[in-house]
Amino acid sequence: MTRRGVLCGLLSVACAPFFAATGQGQTVPSYQQLVYPPLKPVKIPEPVSFTLKNGMRVFLLEDHELPVINGLALVRTGNLFDPPDKRGLSTVMADVLRASGTRAKTGDQIDEELEDIAGSVESSMGETNASMSFSGLKETAGTVLRVFKEVMTDPEFRQDKIDLSISQMNSGIDRRNDDPQGIAERELSSIVYGRNTPYGWSIEHADMARIRRDDLQQFYRRYYFPKNIMLAVYGDFSTAEMRDQLEKLFDGWSPEQPPVPAFPPVTAKAAPGVYLAEKSDVTQTFFSLGELSGTLRDPDYPALEVAVNILGSGFTSRLMSQIRTKMGLAYSIGAGWGAAYDHPGTFRIVGSTKSATTTEAILAARAEVEKMRAAEVSEQELKTAKDAVLNSFVFFFDSPAKTLNRVMMYEYFGYPKDFLFEYQKKVAAVTRADVLRVFREHINPANLSIVAVGNPKDFGKPLSAAGNVEKIDLSIPPAK
Amino acid sequence: MLFLLLPCLLAAQSAAELQKSFEKKVTEFTLANGLHFIVIERHEAPVVSFHTYMNVGSVDDPGGETGLAHMFEHMAFKGTPTIGTKNWPAEKAAMDEVDRVYARLDAESNKGLHADSKKVAAIETELEADMAKAESYVEPNEYDRVVESNGGLDMNASTGEDSTNYYYSFPSNRIELWFLLESERFLHPVFREFYKERDVVREERRMRVESSSQGKLVEALAATAYAAHPYRNMPGGWASDIDHFRRPDAERFYQEYYVPANMTLGIAGDVNPAEARRLAEKYFGRLAARPLPSQYRTEEPVQEGEKRVVVSSPAQPFLILAYKRPDRHSADDAALAVLDSVLSDGRTGIIYKDMVRDKQMALGAGSQPQFPGGKYPSLFLFFVAPSTGHSTEENEKELYHIIEQVKTTKVDEATLQRVKTKLRAELIRKLASNTGLAVELCSYYVNYGDWRRLFTELEDYTKVTAEDVQRVARTYLIPEHRTVAYTYAPTASSEKGGVQ
Repeated sequence: MTRRGVLCGLLSVACAPFFAATGQGQTVPSYQQLVYPPLKPVKIPEPVSFTLKNGMRVFLLEDHELPVINGLALVRTGNLFDPPDKRGLSTVMADVLRASGTRAKTGDQIDEELEDIAGSVESSMGETNASMSFSGLKETAGTVLRVFKEVMTDPEFRQDKIDLSISQMNSGIDRRNDDPQGIAERELSSIVYGRNTPYGWSIEHADMARIRRDDLQQFYRRYYFPKNIMLAVYGDFSTAEMRDQLEKLFDGWSPEQPPVPAFPPVTAKAAPGVYLAEKSDVTQTFFSLGELSGTLRDPDYPALEVAVNILGSGFTSRLMSQIRTKMGLAYSIGAGWGAAYDHPGTFRIVGSTKSATTTEAILAARAEVEKMRAAEVSEQELKTAKDAVLNSFVFFFDSPAKTLNRVMMYEYFGYPKDFLFEYQKKVAAVTRADVLRVFREHINPANLSIVAVGNPKDFGKPLSAAGNVEKIDLSIPPAK
Repeated sequence: MLFLLLPCLLAAQSAAELQKSFEKKVTEFTLANGLHFIVIERHEAPVVSFHTYMNVGSVDDPGGETGLAHMFEHMAFKGTPTIGTKNWPAEKAAMDEVDRVYARLDAESNKGLHADSKKVAAIETELEADMAKAESYVEPNEYDRVVESNGGLDMNASTGEDSTNYYYSFPSNRIELWFLLESERFLHPVFREFYKERDVVREERRMRVESSSQGKLVEALAATAYAAHPYRNMPGGWASDIDHFRRPDAERFYQEYYVPANMTLGIAGDVNPAEARRLAEKYFGRLAARPLPSQYRTEEPVQEGEKRVVVSSPAQPFLILAYKRPDRHSADDAALAVLDSVLSDGRTGIIYKDMVRDKQMALGAGSQPQFPGGKYPSLFLFFVAPSTGHSTEENEKELYHIIEQVKTTKVDEATLQRVKTKLRAELIRKLASNTGLAVELCSYYVNYGDWRRLFTELEDYTKVTAEDVQRVARTYLIPEHRTVAYTYAPTASSEKGGVQ
């Protein structure tokens, strides 16, 4: 019974490669024959932006699909501003800002107040911005917004929550070598940016031991002031009412500080070589190859995205086809150009393979980089990569939240409003010659830093076949 | 008291209202072959998300072939006789030859000590040449390329204990392409490059399980907690099974389990239901009706005492407690979900407040009401990542205090109310994306027979009382039905980066 099913299926197709007979006598086309109707025009919502009396920038976007209101604030700061002897300070500050509560209410009281109404207020620290977010059901959004404002404007850094946060950071430091993938990514950043720069250093117990309540308060005061904050709110509200509500809510909160300086520049020099972090309890080696990339402002950015996608994005990329599909050496392998808004990001290839094929897989990955520089990609590769970007472009606009966050991000980093559409045009114009040129100009295999995290006694071919091997010391220094 | 009841009533009403608004957006139909479609209209943007929910998972892996459901999932991206080949008749002949040679290799290797090593080597060489020949006809990754170049987004698949899921999104003018590609791969999948992909699957296991202390611990937990039921095997399968299954095994699995009546398809977004139905008939109508496979799986016998399992690992410690609980159709399911929320939701859950915030013995801790699946009797989990300087023993003891507390003290009304409001808010947030809608409605349809259960489930939650929560804690969180799993550091660590 089941066997006949197979035979039927195979025979009908073998006889008629483009038209398979169907159960109802219908025929179906091949995918090459499908003709697509033009895509319906996309409605791109236009957020309303304005500045509150105290100087805070606001972006509003109505979305009435569900009875929910959400918000996201960006604060111009980041862990790049951590003092060199108190690395992690900003992260602890952002954590305690939420956990410790306000002068009027403890964090524990706020937890209960918010969770009683299924609301949330969160605070976190990134590299080039701090975030504060909220989410609430429409019926209780007023309360959530009030708590959000209180946490942002009137925090009380209580010692018990500072201790808790530092204890958690210390436990996190002790666990940082448990995830081999995490080690590979972290060590590559450290090597590419330099271990003594805010882009490449890691947080140690000694840093945590030096952080005091006073440091948190100072950091907060320096960066959390209205003119240094952008707030985006979207959801089920009326723009006029929300505008009034926000004016009233933030009325009277008007501390001033000098403008925040630029983020520290990237000062790294290329650090090519092979770096090995030994880990005995794994059967796979996790590896990462990379070097500094660029920013989204670079005129070559669209061509670089296309080029690196051909190398390593999605299931059809060269790395995937070669190292996973053809060689069967990896489950996970890929590459990204990794451009950042305001400083050079990292081009990186990331993958993992069984210990015995470590060197083979790494060499195969590097060879793919070299191939990208040796000759033009095929017309089909270029078309697939460009079509993937252009045909999925509509997904940039499939939710109001995406549009709103993008508009705010562009303003935060000083990008033109039409940046995305310019990007679209430039991708459409990329040629095979462009791909070859940008790859040759921007990616130098001689500059690649290669990090391998694994168990060298099981490596088949020694890693030295990829270059001179330098060992990475993973030991975690105690506080003193 | 009245004041407290009010929001409860409101919550129930709102769920009913939400359901009502969805009645207008949802269209369902079943094809003659048994295949079920759920179409959810959401015209906010010209995009559509698709979800294929196969009611087959690793519990259906045949004995000695664990990981086979997952292996088929990988093969479902390899194309068809028209997609992924340069010359199908020649490729087919070459693949058949690979099968024949592989069978000979197996036959010789299976002689064990008596195997003729020269013969084995010779067949291996032959096999490699035949595989290379078959591969020479392959148009690599064509299926993926068609999806990606047409703007397909987030294409992937996953295999769990209970189900296998395939999903991605397209711009809405490409709907017909999805119908074509999705029906083709389940109508006549070609298992090309099988043995290379088997290596890839093996690498996936190395990555997720063998190179992760938590992966190893969870695998050991399942294998210990279950004596007989297939929930004892992880979806990735055991290493030696992966190394040995053959292409015809996967083919057989496909024939038995990938029948239309076992398949539910969700389409959410800018889609016209009448057009979807026309295309469904045209493309999926081609799948022949076949009988449903047996759903019987060995029943797990009653556990008669605590079990413990330890995994040696130089990584920082981790602890899991697992208690036997009934399947998702149990009358106690809602009460167990509420108990889980009371224990570990957000920053007000009992476990977080006690172990993370106040006693600071854990970096993270929580519970999970159902693991590894819900189709069969499963496990109620507690898990802890201890803080530096605090042991798994200490954390285990503290969990027992907490469990004792929920057994002896009734949870207060305010907490209960908070949990119910939260469950309602979670439902609303689930409805905010095409991908979420497609998977949720399919999953509720398959598991409960009706997508509306996504909404009516909330009514069950609102009915849960403090007595119910206490009762299920007393019934299920008992030592006799417990499995304790934890990692411990080997005494003489050779780990260079180890932390003392």
